[in-house]
Amino acid sequence: MAEEAIKLGGKKKSIFLDKVKELLPEGGHLNLCLTCGACSSGCPATGLEDMDPRKFLRMAALGMDEEITSSPWVWMCTMCQRCIYVCPMKIDIPQLVFNARASWSREDRPKGILGSCDMALKHDTCSAMGTSEEDFQFVVEDVLEEYQEAQPEFSDMKADVNREGAEFFLNQNSREPVTEPDEMVPLWKILHLAGADWTYGTKGWAAENYCMFLADNDAWEHIVRVKAKAVDDLKCKVWLNTE
Amino acid sequence: MNIDLVMCSEVKSISGDPGNFEVSLVNHPRYIDPVKCTGCGECARHCPVTAVNQYNMKLDDRRATYIEYAQAVPLAFGIDTDTCIGCGLCENMCIAKAIKYDDAERESTLKVGSVILSVGSRGFDPSGLDYLGYGKYTNVVTSEEFERILSASGPYFGHLMRPLDREEPKSIAWLQCVGSRDANRCGNGYCSSVCCMYAVKESMIAKEHVHGELDCVVFNMDMRTFGKDYEKYYLRARDKEGVRFIKARVHSIIEVPETGDLIIQYADEAGKMKEEVFSMVVLSVGLQVQPDAAELAQRLDIKLNKYHFVDSDPFAPVATSQPGIYTCGVLQGPKDIPGSVTEASAAACLAGAELAEARGTDIPKVEIPKEMDVTDQDPRIGVFVCNCGINIGGVVDVPGVKAYAETLPNVVYTDENLFTCSQDTQDKIKEKIIEHNLNRVVVASCSPKTHEAMFMETLEACGLNKYLFEMANIRNQDSWIHSKEPEVATKKAKDLVRMAVARAATLRTLHEKVVPINKQALVIGGGVAGMNAALSLGNQGFNTVLLEKETELGGFSRKLHHTIEGADVQAYLKTLVDDVSGHDKIEVLTGARIVGFEGFKGNFATEVALDGVDKKRKIDHGVFIVATGAGEYQPKEFLYGEDDRVLTQVALSDRLEEKGADGLDSVVMIQCVGSRNDEHVECSRICCQNAVKNALHIKKLNPETQVYVLYRDIRTYGLLEDYFTEAREQGVIFIRFDEDAPPDVRSASEGMLVTVKDHILQQNVEIRADLVTLSAGMRAEDTDEMSQIMKLNRNPEGYFIEAHVKLRPVDMPSDGVFLCGTAHGPKLITEAISQAQAAASRATTFLAKDAIKLSAITAKVDVDHCVKCLTCVRSCPFGVPEFNINEKVIEINEAICHGCGVCASICPRQTIHLSFYDDDQIMCKIDALLEAEGT
Repeated sequence: MAEEAIKLGGKKKSIFLDKVKELLPEGGHLNLCLTCGACSSGCPATGLEDMDPRKFLRMAALGMDEEITSSPWVWMCTMCQRCIYVCPMKIDIPQLVFNARASWSREDRPKGILGSCDMALKHDTCSAMGTSEEDFQFVVEDVLEEYQEAQPEFSDMKADVNREGAEFFLNQNSREPVTEPDEMVPLWKILHLAGADWTYGTKGWAAENYCMFLADNDAWEHIVRVKAKAVDDLKCKVWLNTE
Repeated sequence: MNIDLVMCSEVKSISGDPGNFEVSLVNHPRYIDPVKCTGCGECARHCPVTAVNQYNMKLDDRRATYIEYAQAVPLAFGIDTDTCIGCGLCENMCIAKAIKYDDAERESTLKVGSVILSVGSRGFDPSGLDYLGYGKYTNVVTSEEFERILSASGPYFGHLMRPLDREEPKSIAWLQCVGSRDANRCGNGYCSSVCCMYAVKESMIAKEHVHGELDCVVFNMDMRTFGKDYEKYYLRARDKEGVRFIKARVHSIIEVPETGDLIIQYADEAGKMKEEVFSMVVLSVGLQVQPDAAELAQRLDIKLNKYHFVDSDPFAPVATSQPGIYTCGVLQGPKDIPGSVTEASAAACLAGAELAEARGTDIPKVEIPKEMDVTDQDPRIGVFVCNCGINIGGVVDVPGVKAYAETLPNVVYTDENLFTCSQDTQDKIKEKIIEHNLNRVVVASCSPKTHEAMFMETLEACGLNKYLFEMANIRNQDSWIHSKEPEVATKKAKDLVRMAVARAATLRTLHEKVVPINKQALVIGGGVAGMNAALSLGNQGFNTVLLEKETELGGFSRKLHHTIEGADVQAYLKTLVDDVSGHDKIEVLTGARIVGFEGFKGNFATEVALDGVDKKRKIDHGVFIVATGAGEYQPKEFLYGEDDRVLTQVALSDRLEEKGADGLDSVVMIQCVGSRNDEHVECSRICCQNAVKNALHIKKLNPETQVYVLYRDIRTYGLLEDYFTEAREQGVIFIRFDEDAPPDVRSASEGMLVTVKDHILQQNVEIRADLVTLSAGMRAEDTDEMSQIMKLNRNPEGYFIEAHVKLRPVDMPSDGVFLCGTAHGPKLITEAISQAQAAASRATTFLAKDAIKLSAITAKVDVDHCVKCLTCVRSCPFGVPEFNINEKVIEINEAICHGCGVCASICPRQTIHLSFYDDDQIMCKIDALLEAEGT
């Protein structure tokens, strides 16, 4: 960081923090920082890129918009919300970070997140792995059959796909059906033993939403709408998202 | 005598009007009659039931029959029926027959003229803050629990141990602001005012209590040591005792399961993650009004604020929304002990003023019979030996001691009593004094500290001079200490009784001089404090002379516009001046200067020179209140006086009143100018809120003006914290600077340029500002001459010194002299008002009497043998002995002598005698001690 003094004072300028404040309920309390550091003490990203949540908010408060909207640190935040959980002023730092992400031009955003979002936009499955409806259904049915046979105590376990009128519409992280299909089973077993009435859908089954992490609002909304429609189409009462 | 304690009771409702209230009470059963109970503790010693001891914060046990603590008032036990099994043991053991198993809930009413609500608060319960691990990790305790751990009467008898394994901790962390300054997790947006100081205190005491090294760390946001002399205490902890103060709020606490130690990770100010392991963590919990207290206030229709403190007017701090009902202490707002005690007196003042006409009508009068003349009689000593239940009798052979006393010279009567202090024993003693013509009485029981005055009253009540009395402490100094060696204890009891009897024979009748009290009061200083003191005294019905050195009343407040709450100071001042000037009991003297002073409590005479008047005026008065005030420091720093864009907060508020904030793009405020530095160590208390007040004013006038406050610790204590929050909400930027790296201020054509290192970015910021406002601290008024004439002590900062910081916060060390306002130390108008009312209240307790009895225990000089070496003059801690130049003798005014005996013992010619403790009266005890038993 440049050792030249940060210039403050003079006439008031409109700054990034003020714009974000306008978007948030109660302004996200963004002005209220006591600089106590509770956020930074608990943040897994403190110290990365010589940044931490308190510093980030401080730079925003002092109008250092250029620095905060270009710091790659915003992509290291996991959006875990540990900061706001203990913040005595309930300052919505995650939203500030989110909006800083949104200020990046789309093509400059991190490739992994960007690619996953784009992939999800390709199918109505919303899968960041690009899994098709048919592949998902095949894997579910195949794994179910295998377990029903191998474990007689679960011979009547169900993992329906596209069953109308079920209580729960279950989402599924799309990494499992593709790379670790067995990992789907423990949850099925729990739901089975609990007597839950649930189904998968071939559309909108993928739980993850990288477009949200990408801070691509339109894409994020698209993904949510596709999933919500899938739930409604199957006339399910509860949308159960495991992410 | 004038206070009735109604214990175990709750107020159901209050009806009627001020001056004539009827209070409905629910009296909960105590199951032990506090009148009969002597507090001996036999019941608790035999109670078979173990219960959780709430008093020690559940860290140890007590019995179902219990007393909360040894100094409880009244000193009487009670039964906790939630745990009592009704076995009847206590009833069988109680010799005083005080147990009442059939005690039941009752209802009763009280007729009173005024009501004071002082139901206080509790510490915040941190159980809901999961990240702190309280209730999960044994070695995480609250500050209230830690207080008990440190206490000699606590669960570990004052040994510093951690709860998990009773090991002495090697390191302790305090986490500040748990349940305070937190709008997110507990909703308590206010500062609790007391936690910073108690954390510093606890760390210092903890260091004293351990046997080895102890690392103490206080994690804080701001250290708020804003009270009188508090900053020095904080610096002593930091610089001399090595307590570490770290600016960080800790996110979460993690326990090391194997050791019970606690891991704390925190980000330092540079954003570096640090990790430390502590043996214990203390959560500095804030103050919180309890739900039942809030319900009571609501039941009485008393308006509360959003935090459930009483919603009070800045100019009437102890009044509530209900006329005739007053408040004090933490229910009024978070505050420390000196503040609470002060407010208590203020509430008593207002409650009493309302009833001034009826003063004294409900007080029982005690008739004292004419004193018998025993001066020519040979000593006839009666000795009363106490069993104190089994406290003494269970160890010492009391009948043996009684029999032994019979053999001593001059003893004509002996007796033993179960409880010598009980009312029936007093009657018995009176009877025996008369029956046996006793002219000296010895009681062998407990401590004179607690019981001597009572026994002396018993002597007086049957016409015997009260100074013909002596005590032998065979309990605290004998049976309790030698409880395992009854024979030794009995022998020692005999020694003590023999000494007491020897001394009793030498006692002489002494008479207390009765001095009438002049019922007029003098108040020195006509600012807000002085005027309130005068007004309160006038309203109590006492003639008061109010002195002001300026030509106008008002003092420093004349320069102020609004309080931070928005109350209009000038409008208030006008009403106050009118009330004082128009009061038929108050005489105002302006342009006044004190030139002479003499006299003592109850009878002072002050000489005053008045502007434009040749003749000096002499004022006789029984008490006086010092309210000489303070002003704003005139800065030498930051180009003040060189560049007119640099001004003080007072000047800024003038400017805002006159010109508004138009045309101001940026304003910088610098805190602690002339405070918290080498020259003036103390915090000026008011400047942080002053900066916040003016910052908010600017923002209100012109939201586009940018305001930067450069500070060291923001000390917006109590409910002022809300204004600090509001200022940040409005966009005011607060930048903390280090004491060693103050801001740099330069003049430039484009504006003032202020450079300071931002505490979070660790990078310099340069602020271009139209104005630089200095939060100049407070300075006591120049009282050099006046304090010398009136012999009043001041501290190095020029503020007057109170008699006791906590217990007597508005009394001065000399009787009949009181103190209020900024003459005592920096404070807000609201605080000055309650302190003025408190001083008036304390003065009233004095003026309400017609005469005072001076203690007969005073020093006298044998002028014929005195060589005027002045050793006594130099040694007296109260400055009482004086050399009378005209008479060429040393004089000790018995009216102001404290009877401490320093002069008598230090006089090289032994020409000073202390009555009641003359040499023969002390030496005979030593002689008696050295005699073998029975010789």
